[in-house]
Amino acid sequence: MNFKNILREIEKSDPEVYERLSGRRQVLKSFGSKVAVAALPLAIGSLFKKAYGKTADANGVINALNLALEMEYFEYNFYHTANSLPDLIPPSSAYPSGNDKAGFITIEAQEKAHILLLNTVITTLGGVPFTPKNYSATAVNPLYVPSAYDFTAGGTYSAVFNDYPTFLIMAQVFEDTGIHAYQGQIPSLWSNASVLGQAFQIQSTEGRHAAHVRLIRRQPPISAPENPAPWINNNIPPTIALQSYYLGEDNTQQIGGIDISALKDSYSSTGTVPLLSATAAFDEGMDSATILSLIQPFLL
Amino acid sequence: MKLLNTTGNVQEVETERGFDLSRRRFFQLAGGITGAGLVLSACRTTPPSTTYVGSGDAGLLNMMYIVEQVQAGFYTQAAITPYYGITTSESSCFIDLRDQAIAHSEYLKALLGTNAAKPIVLNLSLAIFADRTSTLANAYGIADLAVGGYNGAARLLSSTDFIHAFSKIVTVQARRSAYMRDTLNYNSFADASAVDSNGLDLATEPASVMAGIEQYIQTKFDISKLPSF
Repeated sequence: MNFKNILREIEKSDPEVYERLSGRRQVLKSFGSKVAVAALPLAIGSLFKKAYGKTADANGVINALNLALEMEYFEYNFYHTANSLPDLIPPSSAYPSGNDKAGFITIEAQEKAHILLLNTVITTLGGVPFTPKNYSATAVNPLYVPSAYDFTAGGTYSAVFNDYPTFLIMAQVFEDTGIHAYQGQIPSLWSNASVLGQAFQIQSTEGRHAAHVRLIRRQPPISAPENPAPWINNNIPPTIALQSYYLGEDNTQQIGGIDISALKDSYSSTGTVPLLSATAAFDEGMDSATILSLIQPFLL
Repeated sequence: MKLLNTTGNVQEVETERGFDLSRRRFFQLAGGITGAGLVLSACRTTPPSTTYVGSGDAGLLNMMYIVEQVQAGFYTQAAITPYYGITTSESSCFIDLRDQAIAHSEYLKALLGTNAAKPIVLNLSLAIFADRTSTLANAYGIADLAVGGYNGAARLLSSTDFIHAFSKIVTVQARRSAYMRDTLNYNSFADASAVDSNGLDLATEPASVMAGIEQYIQTKFDISKLPSF
């Protein structure tokens, strides 16, 4: 094994590697001839960990996970409030034959599990987990912080917990926004494969939630006017006032510089993938500033 | 039934293989009239040789390219031979999903370039397309394989571009699975067979993804260089 050659290769692919460390000479010195050959792989491993595993990347990972955690608190508090109400989610007096409560209890439980998991991961990484305003660790249910949220957005959606269709509109928007938040943070997690993998698994659970809420709105008795599919066709919002939550969802240009709507599809009348399907086939990301601005109206 | 899928685009395949109007009618009739026990083996093809899926990122992309081709073929068949009692809403979803699966398949093929695996031959005989339960159960089973495949590949990929691409697809696959699950069995969209007690969706070892998807493919694969956990 020629260690200098390995370093030279790394230098070629990452000219800034020594800025991440403490200078080439120092690195070579610390790996001087006294390092036993058998110990080299381990030493190299810790060298790479030092260069790429910590510092800015670690902070980036923690910040990304804290944004995710903020979204999970937001959603958990929304569903916990709704599920606690005796006559909002069917079966209810308005929709006596409905059977939707069980599904929303599943969603609430999984949002809660996400909070607990993200708390653990962030703490393990040496970060401080996000907590909502007025959070109290000694509360009966510390995760439920009603004084942090106003899901009517100052009265704009005053029926959110009185009228089931309004509740569903907000649930759909919050679920889709949660996915946009995770998608936007994925590039901040590249340095940590196991955290990245878990983030994938959490966001796909959110995908299931979003599809479920959208399907309720698609089907009778709700039959929402825009006829939502379980996925996001184009950038169609539930109401025009909520358009900003879907900006960018009509994107057809995907990674690799490929235009999905230009790909061959012989079933389509144009011979290429129809726009509605081309946009639905990919969920889009939003950056943290955008996500925070979208949830801001619902924070106290 | 067996569809030869040379490019991931089933319509083209149908033309190439002489899926003329009468044959298509046959499937429509078979789907509409024949009940359980429907066996479609009219378009038998010769067994293909083993297809190498590749190693590293190319192997993982080929794995999902193969899964997406199966989905495209499955939804195409489900749209051509709808099950008894299908609703207008369900029909339009199957057509949308067909086009989305073609989009994913063609996208992955484009990303793979010359590394794309050789054409596969589908074998969808596990599903009875005239039967609602069989169609939806197989559809969500395949979607779960896709979810688990993309999620499992996330921690194995080297290219950040591919990680990003997989991320943007997997949540859509999860939407797909949830839809099929709910349509078959309401409120099962994220039950314990898909999401664990930590709220984590499926993440499946590549070899297990291939074992699952091979139930729908006649082609045999060499997965010896496919990354593993």
